[in-house]
Amino acid sequence: MRLSNSVQIAGFVLTALVLMLVIPMLVEPFTLIDLTLYLSLSILALSLAFVWGFGGILSLGQAVFFGIGGYAYAIAALNMGDTTLPFVIGLVLPMLFALALGYFMFWGRISDVYLAVITLTVSLIFFLIVNSMSGLGNKIGSVAIGGYNGIPGIPPLNVPFNPAAMLSFEAMYYVTAVFALLSYALLRWVLTTRFGKVLVATKENEMRAELLGYDSRKFKLAAYVIGAGLAGLSGLLYAIWGGLINPDVFGMAFSAQVIVWVLFGGLGTLVGPVVGAILIQMLVFWLGKVKLADANIVLGALFILFVLLIPAGILPMLRSTLGRFRKGRA
Amino acid sequence: MSTLLQTHALTRRFGGVIANNKVNFTLETGELRCLIGPNGAGKSTFLQMLCGMIPASEGTVTFNGTDITRFQPHQIARLGVGIKTQVPSLFDGLTVAESVAIGAARDHLKADANLIANELIERLDLSDIDHREVGDLAHGQRQWVELAMVLSTKPKLILLDEPTAGMTKEEVVRTAAILKEIRVDHTLIVVEHDMQFVRRIASNVTVFHQGKVLVEGPANDILLNEQVRAVYLGKKEVTHA
Repeated sequence: MRLSNSVQIAGFVLTALVLMLVIPMLVEPFTLIDLTLYLSLSILALSLAFVWGFGGILSLGQAVFFGIGGYAYAIAALNMGDTTLPFVIGLVLPMLFALALGYFMFWGRISDVYLAVITLTVSLIFFLIVNSMSGLGNKIGSVAIGGYNGIPGIPPLNVPFNPAAMLSFEAMYYVTAVFALLSYALLRWVLTTRFGKVLVATKENEMRAELLGYDSRKFKLAAYVIGAGLAGLSGLLYAIWGGLINPDVFGMAFSAQVIVWVLFGGLGTLVGPVVGAILIQMLVFWLGKVKLADANIVLGALFILFVLLIPAGILPMLRSTLGRFRKGRA
Repeated sequence: MSTLLQTHALTRRFGGVIANNKVNFTLETGELRCLIGPNGAGKSTFLQMLCGMIPASEGTVTFNGTDITRFQPHQIARLGVGIKTQVPSLFDGLTVAESVAIGAARDHLKADANLIANELIERLDLSDIDHREVGDLAHGQRQWVELAMVLSTKPKLILLDEPTAGMTKEEVVRTAAILKEIRVDHTLIVVEHDMQFVRRIASNVTVFHQGKVLVEGPANDILLNEQVRAVYLGKKEVTHA
């Protein structure tokens, strides 16, 4: 018997939710802090997995929305005190920016490598602008942008409309876990809708989708905006996790890292890039700890290795190996 | 019968090459018209301009009373023009059933779209392969899948660019039968090289030569026409209509 899509999604989300609720009882606080980071970055991985893997939009600068989300939340939260509205701003501002940028790209019929270059360039422009905004003169409200030092002291979320009730790091773990799961469930659901199916069809053959009467620009723009919202959410959760955001989030290295997560985990899947993000971040931390080699060199080598040997990524490779194994036994 | 499609002085240039040169063409509702002509005569370019795949350099296209010359492909498709391209244009990563359902989903909710898709899959005898990815199919099957996708949007006018290209004899016969069936409730323009096939399906034929309409008329007359024979046998100095 084949279960319906919504039952499958609900089953997966429930299992993951139970796991996520049980984990804090089993691990050390430091591990919980690490897990919070991985979960927040997972949302960024999901955003690119959706935009690139299912929308066919190679957004090399997906991190720009992550950065905008993080900075917007930081500036708004430090200015306002209460984090309820800043949370919404951190989510919505990247979407509005994606709407404007995407409009010019998709209505200008820019695609493929040109789109990749434009998105990366936009991210690097943000890096240069924010990086150069040091000094006390560069303030928004009472918050100094801080140039390359970034913005420190970013507060965690508080109970909505109650600034006195700030969430503990443990509570932030739960919040991040729930947002990660909701993001996954949202994308899985979107992909079962008519919008999701046409989006995938547009990725497969844009002209054919147009010839069937679908305005591919609208579908791509909507996917791009959804991806930006998720990246913004990821960025603000990341800023909360570290209590700090700096221009490195707009940098080349971070943008490349996100691409590696998706390629490593498997383009065209949602879970693969999440696994990629977690494993690669663990590797980056481990390399930083043992000082064996520069993390960027290792990631670059990994990127080349996967493009040449396992272009489908880890998850699709495991699936096909498992499929062959099952066939062999049958 | 009313005029469904009309082009006036439709022209397309690619740099210095004129693919279509001031083509005046009229098609009545319910008609099945074959476009024939040697390679490079401008037949495919003409079809591609009709559905918005490439913009016209000059001239106008009027469909069902609306000037669609500057319309985007999706706008033209929504007005009721569908095209099956020369090289099948498909969603290779999707299954046959998914591909056909996407076309139907444009104007229908999921359940109805699936129903329409299933009917078409049965009608075109694709039931055995409906779960297979389109990218894995043989050429003839791909042609029929594309036709099913086009039919799923219920277009008023269907443009078919060499629907039998690369098909076996049996597949050609079957395609002719399918076209005879769908012409009952659609207007069709078919670009075709296979004269046997043209005889089998067409009532009216337009002959393209060097980007222009050379001659038009009933299939049997046209296929006996001296000018047309000259074009196909490669004789020069042909006078255009």
